[in-house]
Amino acid sequence: MSVHSPARRQFLGRAALATIPAFLRPRTALGAVGVNSERRAPDHVLVTIFLRGGADGLSLVVPYGDDYYHRSRPTLALASPSKGGGTGVADLDGYFGLHPALRPLLPLYQSGQMAIVHACGSGDQTRSHFEAMATMERGLYGAQGPASGWIARHLASAPWRNPSPLRAVALGSMVPDALRGATSATALQNVSDLALHDLSSVSRAQLHECLHSMYNTNNGALGAAGLETLGVLKTLEDVSSDAYHPANGAVYPADDLGRGLMQTALLVKKGVGVEAACLDHYGYDTHVAQGGAIGLLAGQLTTLGASIAAFAKDLGPERWARTTVVVQSEFGRRVEENSGAGTDHGRAGVMFVMGGSGVAGGRIHGKWPGLSPEQRDGPGDLRVTTDYRNVLGEVLARRAGNTNVGAVFPGLQFSPTGVTHA
Amino acid sequence: MSLTRRKLLCVGAAALGAAALTGCESLENHFAKPPPPGADALPPGPSGKVSEAARLLNRAAFGPRPGDIAYVERIGAAAYLEEQLKPDAIEEPKFLQWRLRSLGDSLNPDPGLLFDEDDKRLVAALRQATTLRAVYSKRQLQERMVEFWSDHFNIYAFKNEGAQLKIVDDHETIRKHGLGRFRDLLGASARSAAMLGYLDNGVNKRGAPNENYARELMELHTLGVNGGYTQRDVLEVARCLTGWTSQKHWRRGEFLFDSGAHDNGAKTVLGNLIPAHGGVHDGDRVLDIVAAHPATAHRISRKLCLYFLGEAPEPLTASMAKTFQETDGDIKSLMRLVLNSSEVQSSAFIFKRPFDYAVSALRAFDVDTDGGAGVQEHLEKMGQSLFGWPMPNGYPTQEGAWLGGLPPRWNFALDLTQGRVQNTKAPLDALIERGIAEGLSSAQTLSSLALGRAAHDPETSALLARFPKTMDARAQGACVLMSPDFQWR
Repeated sequence: MSVHSPARRQFLGRAALATIPAFLRPRTALGAVGVNSERRAPDHVLVTIFLRGGADGLSLVVPYGDDYYHRSRPTLALASPSKGGGTGVADLDGYFGLHPALRPLLPLYQSGQMAIVHACGSGDQTRSHFEAMATMERGLYGAQGPASGWIARHLASAPWRNPSPLRAVALGSMVPDALRGATSATALQNVSDLALHDLSSVSRAQLHECLHSMYNTNNGALGAAGLETLGVLKTLEDVSSDAYHPANGAVYPADDLGRGLMQTALLVKKGVGVEAACLDHYGYDTHVAQGGAIGLLAGQLTTLGASIAAFAKDLGPERWARTTVVVQSEFGRRVEENSGAGTDHGRAGVMFVMGGSGVAGGRIHGKWPGLSPEQRDGPGDLRVTTDYRNVLGEVLARRAGNTNVGAVFPGLQFSPTGVTHA
Repeated sequence: MSLTRRKLLCVGAAALGAAALTGCESLENHFAKPPPPGADALPPGPSGKVSEAARLLNRAAFGPRPGDIAYVERIGAAAYLEEQLKPDAIEEPKFLQWRLRSLGDSLNPDPGLLFDEDDKRLVAALRQATTLRAVYSKRQLQERMVEFWSDHFNIYAFKNEGAQLKIVDDHETIRKHGLGRFRDLLGASARSAAMLGYLDNGVNKRGAPNENYARELMELHTLGVNGGYTQRDVLEVARCLTGWTSQKHWRRGEFLFDSGAHDNGAKTVLGNLIPAHGGVHDGDRVLDIVAAHPATAHRISRKLCLYFLGEAPEPLTASMAKTFQETDGDIKSLMRLVLNSSEVQSSAFIFKRPFDYAVSALRAFDVDTDGGAGVQEHLEKMGQSLFGWPMPNGYPTQEGAWLGGLPPRWNFALDLTQGRVQNTKAPLDALIERGIAEGLSSAQTLSSLALGRAAHDPETSALLARFPKTMDARAQGACVLMSPDFQWR
């Protein structure tokens, strides 16, 4: 956490705040909410991975010790550790096991760098992807509350200034709702895309100047976005990812998530002021042919596990210690499987919190509600026993350094779940 | 002057699709490339804002092509709209027909043939055809409806047999019924093998029903999440739709009702009793109920308002919802209300999504493109690969999702004007020459084509004053497309 870490110094030297034009000031309504002082941003990066489609928490972290699990999933249940050999779950605590495709994360769990919270979620009862995602990305429990995103409010309410135009990034082509209203949020698929292509008759500097002049006259959100984009282009002027080689022998999977985490690592190492990076992983809406140790869900989890493991390795111990990765999904899935060897939309799911230090890992947090029919919620779903906001709030307060949890999650009776060390 | 005038009328007539070939140009020319713009291509008007015709064309069409504004001004907005509401009576340009034909059997909506083809090639062909039509079709409102309904009934082309079946769905569901009756559109979608595969109803069997389609049918396709259904209704609708699947071998891709998989018990959907032993009619009954539900009328009306106007004023939405119910969901009647409303001129501008941005640029500069890999690569970078959105709600419409992604748009503008997009050529010199004949500078010509404002509009002058003096016409074209003004419709 040293302020004088190499990464920090590099950031200050490179982008050197002075080279970031004066127009890069918070412009959105949220800017005014901020309690910004001259304090420097802590050297911490929050990485969120949203599993889109409703990840089946019961398959990610399997309650193999619960008989109802096996009875409810006649074709889908994963084998217990002792019985399954290579295809069985990896035992975590004698009752729960990790999906075999997530084995690359096992060393993180065993070394206390990965905490699991089971049976957590929001209060959304619609079982609609879009309602449930919007609820979580806005940082709410029910449908009522601010329209802005929770990460946007975190950045606006944090008691420090960070004028970097890359303070919040979305690794993809769109900015997710969690960043909605952020003072600056840049969507990028690849760092190398963030350079303007050439024009024959004018220099790049002239082109930038012309764009700046055009966007500086537009007072709305587009004007702000244009100016912030120019700040990003300037900051990254000579950062090219073409020659990027992951460190420590890390190998990222070649899909969107792997690429996105690799680009995140690149940005973190360049010290360009990233505080929050948002990634999406699609393909968790497994209504049909969900599969077991192999198959549809296992394929997604293989990518997920390998990507995060590569990211931790690539960052190296020092940077990984200043990083927190949160994995979440809009809801979990029905306890009973359906006629298509899949599962329908449910309620509670599972969250992962990972990082090189400060994470109370190697444990499964939360209160297990049980799987017997009378313990289920609604049409037969895992009951929510932990408000997901308490997990996020704790990460913000204890890892990201923003204790202003009330501003991020209005109305929350904040009660840390213990996924981090105080 | 009379010569120009005659030429204009010829080109105009062809360009307007009133009559295909008037004899003033050879057939070969039509096959070869898009017709040149008319001499009065530049929007007139002494000063001020975006012309009314341009505003309409940005909503009802994918922006103006050279000549379009003059045409709308000549026949009037109401007449233009009526013309657009009868797409089958508008003849398509020959070169467009030719280019679509050259995509070959990959667009033949006969699933039997499609299954012989490679997935990636099929998706590429459908993307190419969709882009070509959006850029060149004279049936612009139909293409707008295709975009609207393709999002509303979104299908991801990379799940199951989506590559083959989305081509059929595009033809038999979206294009066939996009300006027809909502119940017919919904019914075609419910029986579409692409939808049955994408939302898993094809494996929905009695005993342990699969809820996926049943839920999205009510949440996304009809009532809306607050439309008054319950989790119990989701289960009951899923039961009604058990056995609705598609042929897997013989006549693959056609709808099939598998009576053995159907739950023949009695059900209750939204308070309506559906008696036992209804067979395939259970599903049709569900579609009747949800299509006729007031929440559906209101929600579709509201969504059309938002798409075409960027806002949904309650009086207009309510009158559309009333019309929806009185006309049995006649989409044309709804379109008359939306596009004849005063809000077309008065509502705030709408932030263009990437497809809209790219297509409107290609149209504004009369670009000759094959709509293929070159354009599609840029759309992917910008974040809107057609038929590539994995979730059932369609690509986001709110500007917040897109504002953070300006660099790929800017690079599209740069590559387009510098001639770096594969098989895509912007005839800027020809456009500028026409402008010079009218006494306009290159920057004035290009900005008035793209922005729908008069060439001497003070806002345009202020914009152009920001361009470096050394800039050539291509760079000016790029800057016009990169400007904040061109990001809106």
